Amino acid sequence: MPGLLSENNNSLVPFSPEVRDPIVYHLHNTPKPPISRLSISWSRGNCLLVSFFRTKLPSSESDTNAVENPNEEIGGKVVEVKLSSENGEVDDVQRRKIAYDSVSPFALLQSHKISAAALSNMSLGSSNPFNWWQHIMDYSKDIKALLENSKPPPSSVIEDPMEVLQTVEEPNSLKAAWELLEIFYADKQAQPWLPERLVDWLADYDSLLSSTMTTVHSKLVDLQKELVNLQAIEDDPKYWEGLSSALAVGWLDIVVKLLRLHGSYQLDQLGNRETENGLVEAVAVLVSKMPRMRSEWNESILGECFKSKPDFMKSWEKWRGQIAKLECSAFWVQCDHRQTREGLKNLLQIMLGNSSILNTVTCHWMELYISNFLYVRPFTMGLDGMYSLAQKCMQVKPLSNTHCLMGLILGILGDNIEVVLAECSRSFGPWMVAHAIELLTAGNTQAEVLLHEERYNLGGISIEELHRLVYAQVLSSHPLTWQIAPVYLTSCTKQGMGLLEILLYKQPVLHNQLLLKVLEICRLYDLYSISSTIMKIAGVYHWKHGRKGSGVFWLQQAQDEVRLNKIAQQLFDFVGKPISDTSFKQWEGLIELLGSEARTAGGLEFLHKYRDFKKSLQQVQDGKAREAAQQAIESLILLMKNPSTPQRFWLPLLHDSLMLLNWQERPLLNVSQTNLLLNKLQDLSIARLLPDYVEADLPTQALGSVRLALATNLGRVILEE
Amino acid sequence: MDVPMNQEIHKFPQSKYINAVRWISPHSAFEKFIAMALHDTDSDVSSIEIHSLNLSNQPNLNLQSSWCSNSRVSSLKVSQTPNKQIIAASTFEGSLHFLFFHPVDVSLDSELSVTEKSFHSGPISGIDLLSNGSECVTLGEDGRVNLVNLGDSRLNYRRVFDSQGLVSYTAAKWASPTEFVTGGLGFSLQWWDKRKPGGVVSQFKGGWASGNTSGIVHSVDIHQSRKHVCVAGGSLGTVFAWDLRWPQQPIFLSGTGSNELAAHSPSASEVWEVQYDCYKQSSSISNTSSARVLPVLMCSEDGVLAVVEQGEEPIDVLVEPCAINSLDINPQNPSDVICSLEWESVAFITRQ
Repeated sequence: MPGLLSENNNSLVPFSPEVRDPIVYHLHNTPKPPISRLSISWSRGNCLLVSFFRTKLPSSESDTNAVENPNEEIGGKVVEVKLSSENGEVDDVQRRKIAYDSVSPFALLQSHKISAAALSNMSLGSSNPFNWWQHIMDYSKDIKALLENSKPPPSSVIEDPMEVLQTVEEPNSLKAAWELLEIFYADKQAQPWLPERLVDWLADYDSLLSSTMTTVHSKLVDLQKELVNLQAIEDDPKYWEGLSSALAVGWLDIVVKLLRLHGSYQLDQLGNRETENGLVEAVAVLVSKMPRMRSEWNESILGECFKSKPDFMKSWEKWRGQIAKLECSAFWVQCDHRQTREGLKNLLQIMLGNSSILNTVTCHWMELYISNFLYVRPFTMGLDGMYSLAQKCMQVKPLSNTHCLMGLILGILGDNIEVVLAECSRSFGPWMVAHAIELLTAGNTQAEVLLHEERYNLGGISIEELHRLVYAQVLSSHPLTWQIAPVYLTSCTKQGMGLLEILLYKQPVLHNQLLLKVLEICRLYDLYSISSTIMKIAGVYHWKHGRKGSGVFWLQQAQDEVRLNKIAQQLFDFVGKPISDTSFKQWEGLIELLGSEARTAGGLEFLHKYRDFKKSLQQVQDGKAREAAQQAIESLILLMKNPSTPQRFWLPLLHDSLMLLNWQERPLLNVSQTNLLLNKLQDLSIARLLPDYVEADLPTQALGSVRLALATNLGRVILEE
Repeated sequence: MDVPMNQEIHKFPQSKYINAVRWISPHSAFEKFIAMALHDTDSDVSSIEIHSLNLSNQPNLNLQSSWCSNSRVSSLKVSQTPNKQIIAASTFEGSLHFLFFHPVDVSLDSELSVTEKSFHSGPISGIDLLSNGSECVTLGEDGRVNLVNLGDSRLNYRRVFDSQGLVSYTAAKWASPTEFVTGGLGFSLQWWDKRKPGGVVSQFKGGWASGNTSGIVHSVDIHQSRKHVCVAGGSLGTVFAWDLRWPQQPIFLSGTGSNELAAHSPSASEVWEVQYDCYKQSSSISNTSSARVLPVLMCSEDGVLAVVEQGEEPIDVLVEPCAINSLDINPQNPSDVICSLEWESVAFITRQ
């Protein structure tokens, strides 16, 4: 029962806890065997229908049951189970938006790949690596841009001096994960500055980690709330705690801002707290002068930037010297305010890289890790060094509650592509994996081999293709996103086209708009045989539902001669039958429709003429005598002369025109015309002796009466002439 | 064919599929209202929503009023009379609904509908509302052409023609209070006069289509000042004009079906909607002689919104990676265009 499932954490599919009572439908009829007891099928969206069928009990027992318990379902029941998404942060609508927006960057990168491959085939191995990295970076930036949350909070024009933390946009894990991958795999230009990139990363996304544990960010948020109510903030230990924590993870702008809120800056206090204020300002200046090794200068980042290592090291030594000098300064003694003195000294210790203090002011291993980069080992390079440092930090601050990003970071630092993929897949779903593989394989030969290798146990496809196919399946399952699945399927060389065919055949042909969208996809990918099959399906569907015009149109578009001929054959069946006024109109319309087709001309030429004949005949019956009768005779002679008129129609035609042959006023046929018809009748009599002759559906005396009429007519004509 | 820079584009994600968009005349000149036919695929709920368009520094669409439909909307038209706004919507189930919109208190008022089984069998594929809102023509793939008369508080309809499925109609447009034009399969167009019994007055069969492929007319438009010329858009990127005075000689504005235009055609796929572009006309009034077809704005399955003009290079207004399914030019201010995109969003373009 579904209720039990939700309590079980080992369930295969995530079950959303907010839907406590799934919708249950009761079946009132027992399905006939053979039928399975249980059936599972997808419903709309991410709804799963689980049907339980009851097998028929022995009759006596089931009867008593039904009487005793009228609510008890007879046939079984269907339970609608709504499955939750893998990632709680992103809802379906957002997921679709991400899917739509990522189509263009993905398709662009694929086309670059194809052209690069073609280029390197032409001139061996001369592909431009710089260009390639540019494409990868463009792709990564496009994807990152679309992961941004669309609504930035309203920012006030006047800056609040008390606002220490500025929220630019609501961060999301998906973007955080993508940025991590970009830092480590796509942005080759920034490799030497990896630690500083991580500092920035944590500054942007530390708030995400607050959901599961205390972080520097959450500390600062608490401090922010209290700042407004505090008179002398320097007396509050929380102020100093926040300061040192922010400094430890390198949020220098916040540190400087907080320091300037120190009470000694207030005009009325400046006089008697001069030394204290000087010390605060000295620390603030030192903080803002911290040398940093960064690739680009960013206005919002405090500190002095250096691009080359020697310059940086020189300046770093100098800066450390200044800190050490300040530490030993005599002014500390003159500072009366104990909290200020201790707090500032603490800050200096952090900047000098005192590891025990760093340990206490940071909240989790990642923050400790960052503080180590900044103050203990600013020259750490290489992934190996970073990994061992990470492990050390984790020993100091073990993870109690794992956030989905942590696993990803460890996988990346451990240089284990499989772990990275698994983490992406587990925490962020098929979209992430399908798109992140592009970054993973960008310059990493080992990863490329791993992900591009065709595997027997995957049915001969590579891991890359597998994940693309999985994502394409997710897209295909939704009526709004299936149209973008072809972009991913066509990038799968082994099984993509086969699945695309299935996808296209699965689309309903009920409405022309959808049908035309399917055909457009066929046109884009040159799938002409599929498009013609789909048009045939549509043609037959419309024909069966009484929309004969649409049916013929689609069959003609598909050039389906077999079915068009069958339709023409149906028209032949009308020959010789009395046709009512309304059915004549229909019939005429159908000939019109088929008429635009050149290739079925043989049969249709006959039908056209027969229609003219029938029309005149009808006019004769309506009493519009002579001219019409003469016209009908001419049509009849034309029909009988024409070699394309099938022999089996001769007798019905003549039988139809009995009235003309027996025309009271005067004979309408001349001698030669009569002879022609008599000859045809003669041929017919001979043909009747042959074994394969098919008797027309006419009265038995038809042939006789026609012969008699013709003979009479001949007699009358001869007499008249 | 670069997209001109002198225009502003705003996109508004809707999180639902948009079947059609239309402008609604506002009560005052400072307001802009839009009617949208939406479909939520997850809950299978269709609706018609009225949104106001705010063009502040952060342009947005604000939901004002909405109405739930029993089935997906196949066609949406609005009568452009300032005091009485009527929104007509046809559905895939073959019903027709009229909603009355109050521009002052911005609400959808009452509803009148035709839901009889005998009205249309299957989806209604095209409707058009007379500009005074008194009469609506409906047509469908079932081959029926109906006229619905909108009285004070009741509707009555009469059948003009029933081809019993032999001819399917896809698009309609009134030329005058008594005449209208329809389009259908095989690039065919029909001219009807309701004063003359028996239906079609003049007919155009699009037998020109190259080789064995033909197409469907998806949209027709008639300019109020030139009632004898109608433009039609359809398959193969085709936009052509049909002049009643030379009924068997279509004038091509775009399309891959004819050789001389194929290279310049902005689109090679289905043209979903065409409308005479009054904005383009006013800018190049000097070289518009009476014999020439006026410029036309079109949108297509391959994501192009472009102005096509007889004998001139097309101008792309918007190029999207997904289909543009419907468009509407603001009748009050022809520089404003609104269009619906396949990927669940609405685009608003203002040209300068």
